[in-house]
Parts: sequence; C-alpha cells; structure tokens
Amino acid sequence: MSLLPPDESDAVVTEPAPPVHQRRGLPYFLRRPGGLFGASWLLFMLVASLSAPLWRPYNPAQQDTANRLALPSGDHWLGTDPLGRDLLSRIFTAGTEPLVASALTVLVAFTLGLAMALLAAEHGPRVERVTSRLADVAMSLPGVIILLAVIGAIGVRIFVVMSILGALISASVYRVMLGVAKSVRQRLYVDAARVNGLGSLRVNLVHVLPSMGTIIAVQAAQLYAIGLLIVSGLAFLGFGPSEPQPSWGFMIQDASRYVFTSPWLMVPTGLVLALTVVAANELADAIASRGSVASPVRRRKRPPVRTPAPGTTGAAATDPTSLLEVRDLHVGVEDGPALVTGASFDLQPGRVLGLVGESGCGKTMTARALLGLLPDGVSVSGGSIHWQGRDLVGCQERELTAVRGRGIALISQEPMVALDPMFSVAYQLVQPIRRFRGVGKAEARRIAAELLRQVGIVDGARVLKSYPHQLSGGMAQRVCIALALTGQPELLIADEPTTALDVTVQAEILGLLRTLVTDTGLAIIIVSHDLGVVADICDDVRVMYAGQIVESGTTAAVLDDPAHPYTMALLGANPHVPEGEPVPARLASIPGTVPPPGSWPTGCRFATRCQFVQEACTTPFPAVPAHGVGTAERSGTVLCVRVDEIHDEGVRWGAEPVGAEVAPAEGRPADDPAPNAGAAR
Amino acid sequence: MVGYVARRLALAVGTVLAAALISFLLAHATDTSPGAVRLGVNGTPERVAALNEQLGWNRPLYEQFGDYLGGLVRGDLGTSLIDGRSIAADLAARVPVTASMALFATVLSGIVGVVLGVTAAVRGGRIARLITTGSGIALSLPAFWVGILLVYVLSLRLGWLPATGYVPFATDPAAWFRSLLLPVLTLGIGGAAVIARTAGAGMREALAQEHIRTLRAMGTPEWRVRYVHALRYASLPVAAVLGIQFIALFGGSVIIENLFALPGLGQAGQIAAAASDSPALTGVVIVATVVVVVINLLLDLVVAILDPKVRSA
Repeated sequence: MSLLPPDESDAVVTEPAPPVHQRRGLPYFLRRPGGLFGASWLLFMLVASLSAPLWRPYNPAQQDTANRLALPSGDHWLGTDPLGRDLLSRIFTAGTEPLVASALTVLVAFTLGLAMALLAAEHGPRVERVTSRLADVAMSLPGVIILLAVIGAIGVRIFVVMSILGALISASVYRVMLGVAKSVRQRLYVDAARVNGLGSLRVNLVHVLPSMGTIIAVQAAQLYAIGLLIVSGLAFLGFGPSEPQPSWGFMIQDASRYVFTSPWLMVPTGLVLALTVVAANELADAIASRGSVASPVRRRKRPPVRTPAPGTTGAAATDPTSLLEVRDLHVGVEDGPALVTGASFDLQPGRVLGLVGESGCGKTMTARALLGLLPDGVSVSGGSIHWQGRDLVGCQERELTAVRGRGIALISQEPMVALDPMFSVAYQLVQPIRRFRGVGKAEARRIAAELLRQVGIVDGARVLKSYPHQLSGGMAQRVCIALALTGQPELLIADEPTTALDVTVQAEILGLLRTLVTDTGLAIIIVSHDLGVVADICDDVRVMYAGQIVESGTTAAVLDDPAHPYTMALLGANPHVPEGEPVPARLASIPGTVPPPGSWPTGCRFATRCQFVQEACTTPFPAVPAHGVGTAERSGTVLCVRVDEIHDEGVRWGAEPVGAEVAPAEGRPADDPAPNAGAAR
Repeated sequence: MVGYVARRLALAVGTVLAAALISFLLAHATDTSPGAVRLGVNGTPERVAALNEQLGWNRPLYEQFGDYLGGLVRGDLGTSLIDGRSIAADLAARVPVTASMALFATVLSGIVGVVLGVTAAVRGGRIARLITTGSGIALSLPAFWVGILLVYVLSLRLGWLPATGYVPFATDPAAWFRSLLLPVLTLGIGGAAVIARTAGAGMREALAQEHIRTLRAMGTPEWRVRYVHALRYASLPVAAVLGIQFIALFGGSVIIENLFALPGLGQAGQIAAAASDSPALTGVVIVATVVVVVINLLLDLVVAILDPKVRSA
C-alpha cells in the first residue's frame, strides 16, 4: 500500500526517451509478455466489469441460503459468499467502481501535477521554489490518514475522496514531470519554436507534452495501480459502497472473517484484485522499457575464449626489450561485429605511443583490451597481448587483477567522475597504497602526500582531506594520475587525458606526463583524437580508422610526412598551425562519418570518404612499408594501396567548400568527440 | 550541513502545519456539526445549536484555528465528541503500536530489499529476472489480502504465530514481539519489493559509474569494488526511498491494524472517521504527520552523513 511510486519516481530517467522508429504492428510495449498481459487484462477487466449487468449469471444481491460459502461448481463458477451470493457476479459487478475511481485519481493527479510542472518550468526558479516546497509538503503527508479525515468530514463519497487522493499524489507527478519539462525546454527546438513566435501554451502543447509521453504513460499506470489498492483498502475498512452493493475490499474483509472455516472465499476476489494491480504495474514496466536494456547482462566470469582470427596466429614475443607487444589484436562484440581487427604495436620502456583517430575507430577498445576491462559483451577474439613476456589474452581474471594498477595503470577521460564521489581523496589514495606496497596507514598517508607533490599539487594536505566534488578538473586529473602511480606501474594508459580540461590545464597535464616519463622511465599509451596532443608528447603514433591501424611510425615521420590519405585528412582538419606557417584560409574536412562496426567496406575501409578513391581500393590488400627504411621498430607501415601514387607525388588533402564541412552528428557516441570537430569550432 | 538541516527542519514544521490546516478545514467542510455528532439521535435542533455555540463552533475560523494551534503547542488535542476522552492521552497510548510496526516493517523491508536488489544487480541473469519479476508482483499485492494469506498459512495451518490481537510491551515483551510479527511481515513484503527495485537500480547504476572502472583498473578486489564503493553509492537513493516507504507503510498500517485488531493510530482514525468525530480525526492526522516527519528528519540526517556533498555544503 504505498501512496507514491517510490522507486520509479526517483529512477525514471528525467531525459525523455529518444524518438524510436515506429515499426509496423504492435506497439513496442505490447511485444513484452508483461506489457501484453497487463494491457489485455486491464482491457478485459474494464469490458467485463462494465458489461457485467448484461451477462452475469445471478443478481449480485440474490441470496441462496442453501448454498452458503460454496466452493466452485457448475452453478457458481467461483463459489458463493456467506449469504450464498454468487461470487463471479459480485466480483465483476464490483469492478466498475475501483476501475473508474482509480482512473479519476490518475486524471486529477496529472492535471494538477502537469500544470504545476509546466508552470514552474515556464516561470523559472522563483515560481519553482514555491511549487516545489508545496510538493515536498504534500509528499510528506500520510495520505491514507488524510483520506480518513476526508471521509470523516464528507462521508463515503468515493469519487470525491479519490479525486482528493489524486490531488495529494499530484506532488509526485509534479516532481517527475518538472525534471522532464526542464530538460525538454532546454532543447534547442523549443527555443527555436519560441523564436518563431509560438505562444507559451502552444510551445507546451506542441513540443513539451509529446516528449513527455512515455514517462506520463509509465507514471499513469503506476498511479493507477496505487489508486486500485487504496480504493479497495478503503472499502476493506468499510468505507466503500454499502451492502448489498458489492466491493472488492469489503468482499476481502468478509473473507478474512471466514478464513478459519472457508479459506476459499479469499481466493477469487483477492486474485482478481491482485492481478489487476499487477497488470497495471507490468504495463508500466513494459512502457518504461523503451530505450533500456531488457535485462542486465551478466558480468562475464569466465576468461575470454581465445579464438585466433582466421589466417593468423598469436605470434610469440620476439623482442626481449619490449615492455608490451600487441600482435594482431582482434576485439569484437560477442556474436556481433568486430570492433578492432589486426592491431599490432610494440612499446619500449620510457616511450610514449599515441593512438589517434576519430571516435568509433576502436582506439579506446584497443586500450581497454590491454587491461582486460572491455565493456560487458565485448571481448578479445584473437591475437595476443604480451606483457613482460606473458600473454594477457586468455588470462584468468585473477591474474589480470594482479597486473592492473601494479603493471599497467589507467587514467581516464573524465577526471571529475573517475574518482569515487563518496570517499575522500586520502581514502582513495591510502587504500591502494596499502594494498600495493604493504605499508601501514600512517606510512601510506605519507606516500600519498608525496605522490600528490610529485604530480604538482602544492597544498597536498588540503587536497587529501577533500572530496572529489571539491576539486577542479585539472586538480582531479592530477589526483587521478597520483592514484595511477600508487602501484608504481611501468605502463600508463591515458584515455583522452586532457579532452575534458581547459586548454591551459591541458598543457600542464601533458607537461606533467612528460616529466613522469623522463623521471621514472614510465611508458605511456595516449588515446587521443587531438593531433596537437600527439605532436606534443608522443614518440610513436598509430593512426586508427574503422578498427584498423592504417598508418604507423614515429610521430615526427607520420606528422611531417603523412602517407595515408586519412592521416592527411586528419592533419588538414587540425586547426593547430605550426609556428611560422601561414594560417590556411580554409580548414579541410572529411566528408561523412566513420562507418559503424559491422558495415565496414571490404578493401580499404576509408574508401567511402577518400578523395583519392579508385577501383583498386575496393579489394583487400596488405599493409606496405612507408616512412623510409630503418629498423623494424622505427620504420612505419601504411595501409593504402595507392600510397606510391598519392604520397610520392605529394598530393595534399584538399579543403572542402564551406558548408559541407560539418559531418552529420548521428551515429556518433556522445562521449567521444570527433577529431574533425575542431574544424567546426 | 547546517543549512541543509535547517531547510529540512523548516519543511518538517511546514508539513505539520499543513496537516493541521487541512484537517481543521476538513472538519469545518462537513455538513454536520460537533453538536449534532455529540448528541447523536437525541439532538433536537435547539440543543445542537446551543452545544455548537458552547463549543465555539460559530466563531470566526481563524480564531478557532489559532486556539487549536495554541492547544497543539501545549500538547492539548481536545476531547472526543463521542466519549469525551482526552484525545492526546488516547493517541499517546496508540502511537507506539503503529510506530513500532511501521518502523520494524521499514527496517525489515530495508534489509531484505537491499540484499535482494544487490544480489540482482551483482549476479544478473536468471536470478536478476526472478527477483525483478517477483518484486514486481509483490509490490502489487494488496497488503490486506497478503495479511489474510499469512494468517491462514502461519497461524491456522502452521500455528506459529497468533492470528490477531496485541500484547503491550510492558505486559510481556516476547508476546508483544510475536503479536507484531504477522503485521510487520505483511507490510514488509511489499516494502521489501519496492526497496529491492530501488537498490537493484541504484546498484546497477553505481556499477556502471566511471569511478568503478577506475577502481577495477587499479586491480581493486571485486568484493571491495562492489560492497564498499558501489554499495555506498547506491545507499543514497535507498535512504531516500526508505523515508518515502515509511510514510507509505504508516498509511498502510491503518488497514493492517484493522485486519489484525491492533490498537494503533490507524484504528483510531478508522473509528473516528466512521463516527465523524472530527477533533479525534484531526488529532490522528497531526500525530501521524509528526511521527512521519520525525522519522524522515532522522533519515535526512543519515543522508547528510552518507553524502559528502551534503556534509560539506
């Protein structure tokens, strides 16, 4: 018996669901068994109850004293009550009132709640403060007891009572809807509509309300369930239709008195009521399922199965000086498309390697595969990752855990969310220090302060006492780097370490990383979309496109003299201008977007966007050496069949006409800005 | 922290005042009058009018409300129209029954719900589906019907617990506990289902957080990732819902007290509503609101202690 939909009112995403393409046939929520059951049972109850006078086998008040408390039989399908009245007829005769009264509750709750929410969203913080305080008060009142006071004052007028319940519940509608209304209003198209001169009511009706549709439907179904429980609960207490009029609540009250002698009596009515409430809640769940995963994916316990990709073998480690040797790494969605194919690279101690490319090219997946921290449902499907001579692919989770933090550490893109908001910096540093270094609490604290000094934090004592929300982005990233250093790792993987930071802070963080490399001999893999970062700090670079490394070599060689058209295009789209060179009149851009995994072209995957595409590009071909000759490590390779013609003839990637330069935004993961976004800035 | 507590306190006082105002206005919205209720069938229109005048019923509403608030501050809730008892004394004896029942039910649903929700989020797969479906059904079951089922199974079939009735704590603590068990179980089943959903969603959200990945990337043992870091993160929504849950269970107790014949606040409310005993009803509403508000204040303090953002604000 809850007055409020407690979990969902908090859990419902305040972001309205994105528009989903309507497929033909059943609406999405009816395709789930719960939704289908819920909708059809509610429809059945409504029709059966409203039409009960037409089909019921007995008059609900007709007594049959010879047949009291009968079990189901041919005469009475569901049995009879203590006065010998037919239960089937009574149950469905009683159904109309709760079904209609609960609908009234929902209607009142939404009329008031929505109006208040739209009003508050429209008129800004001052109105919102008042309405929100009112809602807080209404939500803190014990609703059922207030309803008793209403009944004491005006008697059992159930439709009035249930309308007042609707008014009380409108507070929780208001809360959820306010969040949605505010986020919808912040969207550009609402502003656009306003600029176009639509009145505020029309803006609400045309643009805001429809986006709330899903959430309204979910909450309405939940509140309907609550209304059913309360109207029956009141009837159970005797505040319902008076005898001989049947009501579900009173019939269950009746059953409770005969539970000793005729336990069957509580079954039919209780089941019908329970099924109706379950139906409403199941319908709510099914409607809410839009855009969410059907069921949580189980976290994989078993180690990833190692199935070498066709035609390749996990080559053994060859170079004893290498810290890390990745050979022919394949990463893919289990039973789905490949995300990374055939990535190979080496890393020596004290070197910095850049993985660069647009979002969706597999850089982050490659980096995360090194730590065995791929998202659920994604795994390494082939190749090898030799870490200090040991292949991490196919390792037990326990062995990987031993490498994480101690051998390979990670700093991530969003320093502000990478630290646990619930714990102090001191706790988050001391705990791994004690684990990694086996020292006591006091010593660990001293080391933590020392590490903070090492990452350039001056007032370490204050920062240690702070919580993450009290730190600035740059400070948080320094703490993250200190955290990564607690296990004295030999390799640091930095996934877009400066993307979320201000430009000045970016330079400081890169400077810090460079110092760490020179001072401690740390090796770093930097994942970035920013060629400026790569030029700044990396010794070697691997350009990735659509899950492949398309060009590799030393940073100097690749950036000064790009051989692959994609690298040329990235450089052309890069707004950084080297000193002493003229600012180009127009930045180049790359038309289109990275094709999503699973729809990569055969042959060259860049062919669809390449300015130099030819017939030959559509058939598969091996990588060719580029960037001159040298040792196997220093020389690079390039994956372009026309490299001789294009590179050696000195063709440049040309600038597009203005207007065609911003690629459409769809299909791009929001958390990873595209490299050519710089062109639009 | 101080500002947060002050805001919560102001909300609490505001809520109690709102409850007093609502029930006071309801008492005056009635088409009967205190005189008519007290005299019942014996009341001639003259006697009713005289009694109403004597009770001050015809004075301006704001005067009456001011007097009522004055009495409220002194702990005086007036007397019942039916039998002239002191309402404050009557309710003081009833609050422990309802409050202990709602509190036990909240604690029980909190523990069971968190265990189930966390299990669903951590284990996933079939167990998660089972828990999600089970809690979806459990939170839909009418508590008064579940109560009858429990009486049938636990009292009549198995004979483990008394079916109805209440034994005061002072009389026999063990019997008191046994007399509360069935009502608490009844209320707790739906409550646990709600908490299980909240805890499950909170835990799933927590485990998807970036900082959890940081911890895993640091080789933190999985038990620590889950039960120290993720659970702490999920504790905030759970604490918030526990407060709402207590309000709901307190309201639900009205119906459950009737089923188990417990002499609590809800029973007083039901009797007063049936008899149109408006002073008694007003008293029940106010006392119930005070209890709910106090428990929620305590939970707010818990949230303040759990959440560093609130603590340092």
